[in-house]
Amino acid sequence: MGFGIIVADAFFAVTKRGRTTLKDYYTRTLRNMLIIRVFLVPFAVMLVVYGTIIYFFASYSVRQVRNELVGIAEGHRNIIDQFLSEKAAILQFTAASFSREQLRQRNHLDMIFKNLQTQSKAFFDLGVFDQNGRHVAYAGPFDLLGKSYAEAEWFKRVQNVPVYISDEFLGYRQIPHFIIAVKKEETEVAWYLRATIDTYYFNDLVENIRIGSTGEAYIVNREGVLQTKRRSGGRIMEPDPDFVKYATIDHEKTTFFTSGGWRNGHLYASAPIQQTNWQLIVRQSIGDAYAPLVSSTLVSFVLLLGGSVMVVLMGFFMAANVAAQLKSADLEKREMKTQLILAGKLAEVGEMSTGIAHEINNPLQVMKSEVAMIQSLTDDISPIIEDQAPQMLLQLKDCTREIGDQINRCSHITQGLLNFARKRENTKEPIVLEQFVPKMVQMVDQRARLENIRIVQEIQSDLPQIVSDPNQLQQVFLNLFNNAIYALKERISPEIRVRVTKENMTILISVSDNGCGFSPESMEKAFLPFYTTKPVGQGTGLGLSTVYGIIKGLGGDITLTSEQGAGSEFQIRLPIEEIDNTSIQFNHTLSQRR
Amino acid sequence: MPLTNVLIVDDEERFLKTTQTLLEKEGYKVFTAADGYKGLEAVKDRRIDVVVLDVKMPGMDGVEVLKRIKAEHPLVEVLMLTGHATMETAIDGLKLGAFDYLTKPCDIATLKEKIMAAYDKRSAMLEKIQKAKFDRIISHPMEVFSKDE
Repeated sequence: MGFGIIVADAFFAVTKRGRTTLKDYYTRTLRNMLIIRVFLVPFAVMLVVYGTIIYFFASYSVRQVRNELVGIAEGHRNIIDQFLSEKAAILQFTAASFSREQLRQRNHLDMIFKNLQTQSKAFFDLGVFDQNGRHVAYAGPFDLLGKSYAEAEWFKRVQNVPVYISDEFLGYRQIPHFIIAVKKEETEVAWYLRATIDTYYFNDLVENIRIGSTGEAYIVNREGVLQTKRRSGGRIMEPDPDFVKYATIDHEKTTFFTSGGWRNGHLYASAPIQQTNWQLIVRQSIGDAYAPLVSSTLVSFVLLLGGSVMVVLMGFFMAANVAAQLKSADLEKREMKTQLILAGKLAEVGEMSTGIAHEINNPLQVMKSEVAMIQSLTDDISPIIEDQAPQMLLQLKDCTREIGDQINRCSHITQGLLNFARKRENTKEPIVLEQFVPKMVQMVDQRARLENIRIVQEIQSDLPQIVSDPNQLQQVFLNLFNNAIYALKERISPEIRVRVTKENMTILISVSDNGCGFSPESMEKAFLPFYTTKPVGQGTGLGLSTVYGIIKGLGGDITLTSEQGAGSEFQIRLPIEEIDNTSIQFNHTLSQRR
Repeated sequence: MPLTNVLIVDDEERFLKTTQTLLEKEGYKVFTAADGYKGLEAVKDRRIDVVVLDVKMPGMDGVEVLKRIKAEHPLVEVLMLTGHATMETAIDGLKLGAFDYLTKPCDIATLKEKIMAAYDKRSAMLEKIQKAKFDRIISHPMEVFSKDE
């Protein structure tokens, strides 16, 4: 799995102990991986699903809008057709029912007009015309009697058809209106019955159609002249400013088309009115028509965006979390590995050094006896040769003493080696750390003060009492303090921190400093006997190895963490154990025997 | 003061010889043995007061020798001489009745001190035994004839 690879990568990438780089590496790699594999892939799938749904929804909505517009256009076209054909039929019926003479009588025509008006308010006036286009009878509000319509467009047209419905025109009255005229032949002479349709009444039929907030309907003739008012601007008989957009459409059937873009464009549905040459135009601005689609898309997009932001955030957090966990696990693993290797190495070295020390101690013993012998002999012969060669005698004694000193030096070294490796007799007794640790600090306080080193003690209260060897622990503390003081030479604001806490069933003693730290190489060798970074003559390299030996001997554990140039920390874990009666008893007998 | 009889058991011939010379100069009667067996023989054959016994020797090791000496001659005091690495065995030795232990390399002076201390202890013990015997003879004079040590 991916994690394994990453861990391995990280292991190779970070050969030096750089904490920050390691962390960055983990976070970066994991973040990328998590975001790409765990989040982006499902996210991409989600996007595809979302896109598909939006696509189908959009095409469905477009179809819906189209159907609605076309439906409205056709429905109202039918109403208008019905209206016109009904009015024409009424006129035809009237013309058929009465003779010209009957209609010419004023009161008779008025009565018929009144009857027509009761039937439909759409009739505005009614007139009878002779074959020359002269107005021979009139019922209505205007004074049009006697006027000649021979030159009027409608009169010319109605002569050839039984029914004629005109476009809007001004006529004598100078008001836009349209008329329905029917022709009747009576004894070879034609006469005409004409009704004006109330413009407002007719206009309301169309103008009141509303769709959404911008949807409107109006009627135009073939030349694009408005036959009804256009709500969005355009009075009756004015040319439709948008006529060019649909000038070329098929006038025989219902058409649907889109014109213009999102902002200014409109959806058009046009239905031809059969009774005339008019077109019923229903149009709605695109933005308005698709507003529900847009808003639902927008809402879902916002949700998607919010969701993805959360996904990404979660990705980040999870990546950071997992990275931290992995990092700590890996560090722990490496630490453990190092510790194991170190422990193995130290055990080996311990065994070897014991052997060496032992083997060297034997000849040292022989040498020591020999030196004693020489000294004894020198003492014996000194009265004899004192007079002859006093200088030589002194030299001889000096040499012998020097050999003795060197033997002692060797023996000191082997002792150090054995301190590291040997199992020692522990004189265990109860130790109260709250008192013991300050006492240890006090021992180096004077020296630390000379070097301007601050020693901070953080000792947890209510620590349990431990049972350990105070003398050996003292040696441990002194060695660690010595090391710290040495590491703090010429550092800025030098500080040693001693922390004692309880951790599970162990006491954790941490001695840390902000000194020069260990290099990675010296960290591995720190506990090895004779390993020292101090100049020749300043250290034997036995201090930390002795500390190690003591802590191991006390059943504890010691680890070192350090960053070169930043400081080091020694962590000692000592078991909290019950007072061991047998060992005390044994030590008791031991001290008695001495 | 009677001559203190010391037996040194060690596999280092030169150490034996030099130490012998040194101690004899100090007025001890010194016997040497190069290994455990010879050491045991010497203890058996001679009247030894104090044995200086190297813990680590080829053949029979110091602890074994100590056991046998203590088994057969409980009043002979034994000083264990350890190369330090064998500290545990030296401690075992103490448990088995050795008088004390010395870590190598040790000064002749220290060695002498310990020998003297061991001898004093032995003398004190012997004196006590002597006194006990004397008391017994006084209280039961006839027993002198019934059993002799």
